[in-house]
Amino acid sequence: MNPRTRHALEFVLDNLVWFMLLFVLVVFSIFIPNYFQLGIFANIIEASSVLGVMSIGLALVIIAGHMDLSVESVAALSAMAVGILFCSSGIGMGVQLHPEWLMVPVSLLLALAVGGLIGAFNGYLVVKVKMSAFIITLASYIWVRGLVLVVSGGRSAQDLAPAIRWFGIQRLIGLPLTAWIAIACFVIFSLIMARTPFGRHLVMIGGNETATFRAGIRVNRNLIIAFVLAGAIAGLAGWLLAIRTSGATANLGVGLLFNAFAAVVIGGVSLKGGVGTLPGVYAGVLLLSAINTAINLMGLPANFTQVIHGLLVLAAVLLDAFKQTIRQRLA
Amino acid sequence: MNEPLLVLDNVTKNYGAIEALKGISFSIGKGEVVALLGDNGAGKSTLVKIIAGGLEPTSGRMLFEGKEFLARSPAEAKAAGIETVYQDLSLCTNVDVVANFFMGREITRKVLGIPVLDERAMEAVVGKALASAGTRIPSLRTNVEHLSGGQRQAIELNRFVHWGGKLVLLDEPFAALGVEQTRRGLDMIRQVASQGIGVVIITHIMQQAFQVADRIVVIRQGVVAGDVARNKTSPDAVINMITGETLAGAGPAS
Repeated sequence: MNPRTRHALEFVLDNLVWFMLLFVLVVFSIFIPNYFQLGIFANIIEASSVLGVMSIGLALVIIAGHMDLSVESVAALSAMAVGILFCSSGIGMGVQLHPEWLMVPVSLLLALAVGGLIGAFNGYLVVKVKMSAFIITLASYIWVRGLVLVVSGGRSAQDLAPAIRWFGIQRLIGLPLTAWIAIACFVIFSLIMARTPFGRHLVMIGGNETATFRAGIRVNRNLIIAFVLAGAIAGLAGWLLAIRTSGATANLGVGLLFNAFAAVVIGGVSLKGGVGTLPGVYAGVLLLSAINTAINLMGLPANFTQVIHGLLVLAAVLLDAFKQTIRQRLA
Repeated sequence: MNEPLLVLDNVTKNYGAIEALKGISFSIGKGEVVALLGDNGAGKSTLVKIIAGGLEPTSGRMLFEGKEFLARSPAEAKAAGIETVYQDLSLCTNVDVVANFFMGREITRKVLGIPVLDERAMEAVVGKALASAGTRIPSLRTNVEHLSGGQRQAIELNRFVHWGGKLVLLDEPFAALGVEQTRRGLDMIRQVASQGIGVVIITHIMQQAFQVADRIVVIRQGVVAGDVARNKTSPDAVINMITGETLAGAGPAS
């Protein structure tokens, strides 16, 4: 094999999800009437912003060789905290700040802080007390959702302050600002993972924790930061969710965790750790969203979505194994 | 013996009721190559981990460059100038050769105050280091998982030669190497020692120990069973020390 075909093949393997996304979009555009519209594509991006942001945090922790099942509940708690403070009806307290725009940074910081704190709690128990990330974050998944129910009393908050809502309404080049926030997150965290020592260290910790420890990398510190980031990013997802629904309900975001997992796996992140990139995860999120949109347009019952998502995850895992064999032959 | 670099004084390590090391005392000079020999389970790897910061000793003390020394983590040992090559390789197979070479010591440049990896500079350094050691690897951007065992070990060896430091610990470094690569590896050790760096090499192969070492230290059942200059002993005598048949030349370093 000459170097050029080899390079081309490696490029395709590295970006396989993007090619899958392109393929799916082309097929849908050809066979589904009304699919090929800018509005539809904008909608695909818009609908994937909350899931996308949440997937970033999940992917960080999984790439570092761990697991965070709590992201969905953390997002819900952050959304509820923002909802209770800044919604004017339901259980909302309708807190007003002057000037009005001040509510934006305050609510955002609140959401990030709630998420970051729970992330720090998870990280401490997993890294310092050396408990299994699966169990710790499963526990957080349950108790944080419980906390959402407790603080809300099972009721909901509506009518988020217009100054915060503005992010969901104001559009820039056809996309609401919330979608741009998600895109910005992907760009920033992709750069962090690929271009900074911190990102490089996370990938290496996921690959061989012992080796990184022996090499003098501060493994514990890096891992705790990863958990805090995952929590804070989930908090941001909750903030976006509150904006999207203009409030918060007690069961807000239920089921997002499994979609996030699907997106991360489809995006080429290995649950074994150390493998995967964030652009791939974004493609995975968009792929799920593109398929949802197709199902809606075809008028299929929404129940089909889950079946298709499940099969897609299976396909992604099989594809990953297949990719490995090809790579081995390339080397 | 010239100026001692590292002195171990009655170092012990217990795992619960089991005494892995019962009191090890010996020293390593600057530019000296010490071969550490001993049967399986004699405590060689435990000893290396204690010096390298992977384990803390139960009692005893160490002097490094004349000063009291105890590494609580590999990072501390590394900061003091101790490099280690472990038996089970310390490579992250999920990243490329360059990333492994610079693990934990990446070259960065500041972009808007944020440290960013300088891949080009790192690749240049690795390319030069591997070329001067005569190691051929098709692409420095290949993930290590796709390389052979020998290539992997070569990366580890080149890594320690490049970073140098003051003391190098090698725990069976040639296990996966072919004849030619082993010869080159032994040359590397002599070359490193000639720069004044102390070297401790653990090996099972008597021939290697006699080829490269200035001094041979034998550990048996957690104590030093022999500490002799290479030119004053023979492979047969050393084997007897390892198995405990004779106590010729026995006793800790004086």
